[in-house]
Amino acid sequence: MKRTLAVAAGLTAGTILLAACNSGSDSAATSSTSGTADNAGKTITLWLVGSDTPDALRTYLTDTFHAKTGATLKIEEQTWPDLVTKLTTALPDANNTPDVTELGNTQSPTFTNAGAFLDISDMYDELGGSNLLQSFVDAGTVDGKKYTLPYYFGSRYMFYRKDVWQKAGVSVPTTLEEFNADVKTIAEKNPNDIKGFSGFFLGGQDWRNGVSWIFANGGDLAKKEDGKWVSTLSDPNTLKGLAQLQDIYRYASKAPGDAKDQSPWLYLNDSDVVLDDNGKPTKQKTSMNAATIMAPGWAHWSIGDLTTKDGKDVRAWNDKKFGTFVLPGNDGKPAPVFAGGSNIGISAKSKNPALAKDLLRIIFSADYQKKLGGAGLGPANKEYVDSLGTDQFAKALIESSANSKLTPAAPGWAGVEAAGVMEEFFGKIKDAKDLAALAKQYDDKITPMLNQS
Amino acid sequence: MSTRRGSRLPLLLIAPSVVVLVAALGYPVAWQVRTSFQHFGLRQQFGQPPDWVGLDNYRALLRDPQLWTVVVRSIAFCIVCAFATVAIGGAIAVLMKRVAAVPRVILQVALLLAWAMPVVAAMTVWVWIVDWRRGILNWLLVKVGIDGAAGHNWLAEPASFFAVAAVIVVWMSVPFVALSVYAGLTQVPQEVLEAAELDGASGLQRLRFVVMPLIAPVLSIVLLLQIIWDLRVFTQIKLLQDAGGVVNETNLLGTYIYQLGTGRGDFGTASAVSIFMLVLTVVLSWYYVRSLMKEES
Amino acid sequence: MTGPSATRRRPRPASVALGALAIVLALVWAFPVYWMLNSAFLPNVVLQSTSPTFLPFGGSLDNLRHVVTDDHFTSALLISLAVTLLTVVAALFIAFLGALAVSRFRFRGRKSFVLALLLIQMLPAEGLFIAQYKMMSTVGMLNSVVGLTVLYTAAVVPFTVWMLRGFVAGVPVDLEEAAMVDGLSRTQAFLRITFPLLAPGLVASAVYVFLQAWNEFTIALVIMTDEQSRTLPLWLRGFIQASASRETDWGQVMAASTLVAVPVIVFFLIVQGRMSSGLVGGAVKG
Repeated sequence: MKRTLAVAAGLTAGTILLAACNSGSDSAATSSTSGTADNAGKTITLWLVGSDTPDALRTYLTDTFHAKTGATLKIEEQTWPDLVTKLTTALPDANNTPDVTELGNTQSPTFTNAGAFLDISDMYDELGGSNLLQSFVDAGTVDGKKYTLPYYFGSRYMFYRKDVWQKAGVSVPTTLEEFNADVKTIAEKNPNDIKGFSGFFLGGQDWRNGVSWIFANGGDLAKKEDGKWVSTLSDPNTLKGLAQLQDIYRYASKAPGDAKDQSPWLYLNDSDVVLDDNGKPTKQKTSMNAATIMAPGWAHWSIGDLTTKDGKDVRAWNDKKFGTFVLPGNDGKPAPVFAGGSNIGISAKSKNPALAKDLLRIIFSADYQKKLGGAGLGPANKEYVDSLGTDQFAKALIESSANSKLTPAAPGWAGVEAAGVMEEFFGKIKDAKDLAALAKQYDDKITPMLNQS
Repeated sequence: MSTRRGSRLPLLLIAPSVVVLVAALGYPVAWQVRTSFQHFGLRQQFGQPPDWVGLDNYRALLRDPQLWTVVVRSIAFCIVCAFATVAIGGAIAVLMKRVAAVPRVILQVALLLAWAMPVVAAMTVWVWIVDWRRGILNWLLVKVGIDGAAGHNWLAEPASFFAVAAVIVVWMSVPFVALSVYAGLTQVPQEVLEAAELDGASGLQRLRFVVMPLIAPVLSIVLLLQIIWDLRVFTQIKLLQDAGGVVNETNLLGTYIYQLGTGRGDFGTASAVSIFMLVLTVVLSWYYVRSLMKEES
Repeated sequence: MTGPSATRRRPRPASVALGALAIVLALVWAFPVYWMLNSAFLPNVVLQSTSPTFLPFGGSLDNLRHVVTDDHFTSALLISLAVTLLTVVAALFIAFLGALAVSRFRFRGRKSFVLALLLIQMLPAEGLFIAQYKMMSTVGMLNSVVGLTVLYTAAVVPFTVWMLRGFVAGVPVDLEEAAMVDGLSRTQAFLRITFPLLAPGLVASAVYVFLQAWNEFTIALVIMTDEQSRTLPLWLRGFIQASASRETDWGQVMAASTLVAVPVIVFFLIVQGRMSSGLVGGAVKG
């Protein structure tokens, strides 16, 4: 799971939070094991990926770490697209490895299986134990030993245009089937008469969002049978979900066949500035192109009316026009979505494991967990979920993640992702004449990859 | 060519080249050859001893239909791009020779600008030009009456993906070829052309029988370079794949090796493909390399 | 850059048509460059509209200003300049010596050397960099400008030797010797007679090396692991990725691309007069 949570969210929320609660310094969880005096000259490195962790939290980490241990914490930012390359080269290299690194929760099994991380089972209880998000803990566990733990979680829910839904005469759905029918209706009615308008914008290769239809129908991507991983795309329940997806792709979504899950919010907003053919602003045309999208919670910072703040163009959420809901399942519960988020672990080659452990103690402290929540990132420790707040975004995040799932913890799963097989498969759903045969074909392709390490 | 100085001197002169090549490439190439005979995955990268598997990687490779698809695709792409580049570049060079100074200089400056664009920057612009929604290409097509182009996604289908990639690669490589061939043309002696004109040779005849033989060495060396470079094209394809397109249906050898190695952590197979690709390049350019080596002796 | 035959006394319809064709081709080739520059001055809201804006009227320097003040832009620019210039100097020097050996001497191993240069050209780089990382890490050269320069120099030396050998062969040995008979020292003879004749070839090679070193990003991605030691293409890639994780600000991305392109264009303008004749001398005379 690449790129998951708050970007702009952090900047604003983080500052507010800093102002609201004066950062306490005497948390019980931070009982340091290494003395401060002899650490003065030491430096450890932490890799954070993307800009999800806001600056205020980074400052908190470096300051607190220095205060607790006397050593210096250096935070380096990596990018999601290049992370695997960086981890592959640097983690095995004792001289240049980051001491602690964040990595995508679905990348965790591959690297833990390869022996990249330090066994931190002994700290598990101290860092939160069973209060830590179980599915993420599983993603970092090999043969009962804990190597990586959750850093934060996020999840996906629906953003929609209230005005368009109303004009099309449909209301917020309570079951998945209702949703499927509603977005089809909107696309057919196309109330604003916009060319290529999507009732629900779902990219042809966007399997990370599309997989919810598989999960909601009781299907899955793979399962472990007699110690071997098997791809389950042609399982009857999975096929049910795939058929619904095919329907959406054919009748509700006009998204390009190769679109993935990048910035779908562009299509939900009214146009930024619409110019006519002479370059003059006009009100007739619009660049809005979809009534509904599915996106990680932080997308709400990019959705809204265009206004100007401090000379910059920003989006202001408008409750009259925009709304959120959690994708419903067919059993009254929310449909399972992909749990986005990251794990964090100590490099097996770290030269300062004691200091690295101190850093984990700070990250899993009540203080920092609450700060994560304040920044809109789901805290790893269930006890602090309240810190996310009570607005509609926090509610949707908590509700949708209650039923969230991860990708298969198979050793070869990262290989499947890296090879782009899921994108390829999803890209073929729309035009498939025989879904079952297509699914079977990809099962045969994926199963051997799953067990390869 | 002379041997006037002692026999030590030439060895001293090539010593820096040899040293820098061995220093930078010696270990990596040796590692690659060795790894191609091993089962070398992510676990081995993290310190577990690799198993020697002999020729297994190669054997598996040659039986892998995907590799052959990628190979055929790469060769086709390379040949199309290399010949198109040399043809267009050569034609532009001839054109530059024929037109007046002002259009010539304008054309030269345009070529230089295109040549000077850093690859990452150029790719960013191109991706935006072919963007399905806001790209100027679709806008233009709609303007000239092709309504179906609105919202058309050029990168989704492998065929149009490669058409876009070929246009970009040719766009990037033509300036080098055009300016090289033009420089070659300016060295064709004026008297020869004039003599031919007096003898009644038409423009095309002069081009065919006088100019072509004289610039043949330039054409063949730029063609060889284009073939070598276009067969290993990587950055352009990788960045286009990042922008859209189905990775497994658009892989060329470069991106295939990258995906196997870095993406899936299967360094043994990736190394075997690299060696295979080296052999393939040698085979493709064998005729030229041999004639070149004959000239050397 | 003047072709003697290009000036015809009587303008004929055919040559007018050819001139027009040349202009059209120039527009086609320059368009992406123009599009980048144009967009660099326009705010994102204008760029996001479905109908294009062809002229940057009402544009501003905001995008460029934003990019220049980016934390790592200046350090990336300095590192890229350092690596590129070092590579140009080192590669030209090393390749010149190599070219001298190949074109002026017959010696044992000459043929293997030439063949090796050709083969190295054909080596796919995508499989090498894991090993390159291991090697650089072992010798403590990660994040080192010198380390990156060595790798880049090795990558360009084979072709540069190829390019230069024709030029060196083209300089008549007798000319240099005659000058020495006239009382010039070997160095003087080289500087006054040989060097000017080699200049176009050196310039053309410098252009090639400059472009390669300035553009490369896969090796740099692996070797330059610190944020502070990123080269410009890495920085640009990071900038684009960061932008794409929100809502790609095309104006800023184009401004960033423009800034990466500017040094190359400046370099081209400086050397362009000498470049074209040098591009191919090697091949023609070789």
